[in-house]
Amino acid sequence: MHIEIDEISKQFGTTAALSPVSLSIPSGALVALLGPSGSGKTTLLRILGGLEFPTSGRVLFDAQDATGLTVQERRAGFVFQSYALFRHMTVFENIAYGLNARPRASRPPKAEIARRVTKLLDLIQLPDIGSRYPSQLSGGQRQRVALARALAIEPRMLLLDEPFGALDAKVRKELRQGLREIHDETGLTTVFVTHDQDEAMELADMVVVMSMGRIEQIGKPSEIRARPASTFVREFIGV
Amino acid sequence: MGRPLIHRSPMPGLGLSMGITLTMLSLVVLLPIGALLLKGANFGVAGIWETVNRERVWAALFLSFRLSLFAALFNLVFGVILAWVLVRYRFAGRRLLDAAVDLPFALPTAVAGIALTALYAPNGAFGALAAEIGWKIAYTQWGIFIALVFVGLPFVTRTVQPVVEEIEAEVEEASATLGASRLYTLRRVVLPMLAPAALTGFALSLARAVGEYGSVIFIAGNIPLKTEIAPLLIVIQLEEFNYDGAAAIGIAMLVISFAMLLAINLIGVWSRRRIGYV
Amino acid sequence: MSDTTAHKFRSARDEAPLARYALIAFAVIGVGVLVAAPLLAVFVEALADGAAAAVASLGNRDAASAIKLTLLIAAIAVPLNALFGVAAAWFITKFDFRGKAFLITLIDLPFSVSPVVAGLCIVLMFGTNSLVGGWLVASGYPVVFALPGIVLATMFVTFPFVARELIPVMVEQGRAEEEAALTLGASGFRVFWTVTLPNIRWALLYGVLLSNARAMGEFGAVAVVSGKIRGETATMPITIEMLYNEYLSVAAFSMAAVLTLLALVTLMLKTALEVRHADQLAANHRH
Repeated sequence: MHIEIDEISKQFGTTAALSPVSLSIPSGALVALLGPSGSGKTTLLRILGGLEFPTSGRVLFDAQDATGLTVQERRAGFVFQSYALFRHMTVFENIAYGLNARPRASRPPKAEIARRVTKLLDLIQLPDIGSRYPSQLSGGQRQRVALARALAIEPRMLLLDEPFGALDAKVRKELRQGLREIHDETGLTTVFVTHDQDEAMELADMVVVMSMGRIEQIGKPSEIRARPASTFVREFIGV
Repeated sequence: MGRPLIHRSPMPGLGLSMGITLTMLSLVVLLPIGALLLKGANFGVAGIWETVNRERVWAALFLSFRLSLFAALFNLVFGVILAWVLVRYRFAGRRLLDAAVDLPFALPTAVAGIALTALYAPNGAFGALAAEIGWKIAYTQWGIFIALVFVGLPFVTRTVQPVVEEIEAEVEEASATLGASRLYTLRRVVLPMLAPAALTGFALSLARAVGEYGSVIFIAGNIPLKTEIAPLLIVIQLEEFNYDGAAAIGIAMLVISFAMLLAINLIGVWSRRRIGYV
Repeated sequence: MSDTTAHKFRSARDEAPLARYALIAFAVIGVGVLVAAPLLAVFVEALADGAAAAVASLGNRDAASAIKLTLLIAAIAVPLNALFGVAAAWFITKFDFRGKAFLITLIDLPFSVSPVVAGLCIVLMFGTNSLVGGWLVASGYPVVFALPGIVLATMFVTFPFVARELIPVMVEQGRAEEEAALTLGASGFRVFWTVTLPNIRWALLYGVLLSNARAMGEFGAVAVVSGKIRGETATMPITIEMLYNEYLSVAAFSMAAVLTLLALVTLMLKTALEVRHADQLAANHRH
């Protein structure tokens, strides 16, 4: 799905989290929103997911105005920084949650839900953990379960907030590869937020460098490395 | 090899603090309870059974535990709603409402008892209203129920409130991004998270209600077999200097209360184990 | 265009406005009917014959003696319980020993025992036909139907209050500060007075406050052990019962109003402590 951000701004009280920003994300792209904390990257992601409402501007999904859509209507697969798994549900119940939450008319039958959950567990390469509780999983496993849960609702796009932030370096490398593979397999338009320039450069097709609520530069990793558009970008990516 | 009974520590005051603690605990709590248990041991299970196994005693015990259960259930529902409203919503008078929740803890039970009676008696403000539709509250089981709701009101609210505060925003947001309606999120995500604390509050409220005396006796009417609670029966036995009878009923109450609390605690342990700590 | 939709936007954590108003109304009405109405009723009934009659009813000898007795009981029971609470909290949080959880359970025991059963226990232990009680009565120191019994009953029901407030606070604060003071050569009492006490004073006050409110208001346990001798062993709550049963409504409610004022002052102080010294109170009071 093609995502168009049209002059979006966001005020929290008197402080501007986002100055009007515009961004066009082509269908199927893997995009990194890169910047230090306070740069507005998470706010932008949350506006895409319907968790925040912009002060002004529009969001368009496939050229349709989606600004007024509720979180539920957006069908954005969202992976939170803390993963936000439901502690009192097994991994299976976590992944099946979005399907079970549908109104009866559009809810798949039980067997179909089980089939889909099993398929997703295979996709994240953790086929045997369906009956475990989140407290019994490692950090990397939790992250993959959160990803599977987001994919279960057949999202129109995938939004990830610092998806590797809480993991140690080794696991982080493995999971980066995993996300790339899942992206290539599903073809979903994917936006992830990170403050780690290596991660952005290595993983994304397109990097959006942000600072203080503004977009500093948009481009392929190689372009940004070769021609930083501002002193900020040059210093932040350290070339 | 067993662990040492007390680990060596550089901290001062071991003898003094241990001495005061154990002496006062024994004198004020353990020895008196021991006296009751000793009395029970003296006339044995058969003797206790003989005293308890009378229609009037069974009626009182059954009444006390049944109404306490109903009152605790009411407080469970109302307490969870109250905790939610106090933590999540901002409105004029919220602080006052928050402080008012503690009033049943601070108000002497005898005061609560006569105040509730004044309100719900047939000529009282609420009692007169209820009488219009032929509903008698004071001097019936309804009156006892209201008094027990009053004394147990703060427990669930106060145990659930901190848990509501600690729910991470992301968990509720995650549920919404997965397409769940607000009601579904509350039912399937939020309520299960509050359940262990709510259960603890429920148990505390139940324990308090079962033993409650002061706020109940004024409004109850105290009619044998109908509105006579178990603690009152103990008082009546004592006034007749029937110490054996009082002790037997006292032990029966202790045993039933502890069995109930144990059961509730086990449910709590089981549910906490299921949810685990992340 | 966004401005018109912006105020309709609902955060993922909010209920629909209508549901929100309904829940607030339910909570306010519930607390109003269950808690505020009885509170109001106390004062309405006390002032039924005017303020002068209410004040006059508190002036007679029996009423004055009840007030004195209640103050005396609180003055003995509350400091003793505070002493116990501090000692128990120190013992439990500064030392490691086997059976700690069991000890805490024993301290909490009075919360799950009916006050009437508590009174019964004391009667069985110290009553005239018990071994200890018979000897004490013969020696001229009766416990039951006298001041010591009432104090014991009051201490029983308020026993856990102070310790319960202090233990979580002292666990959270750890032992490092005391250990530092010890390495600097301070004596045990000096460590307690200059390091521990300043750190726990608000929690201690909080516990004393709750303990005092309960001590002055205790009815069930005291009713069993007091013998209800007018002018001698009748505390304020017992006097309220006696007056009420004699249909002296104004007198009963006037004395009830005095205890209600005490409860309100307790609540105000408690709220003030929670607001101003949240950092020093147990975590479950921080809201």
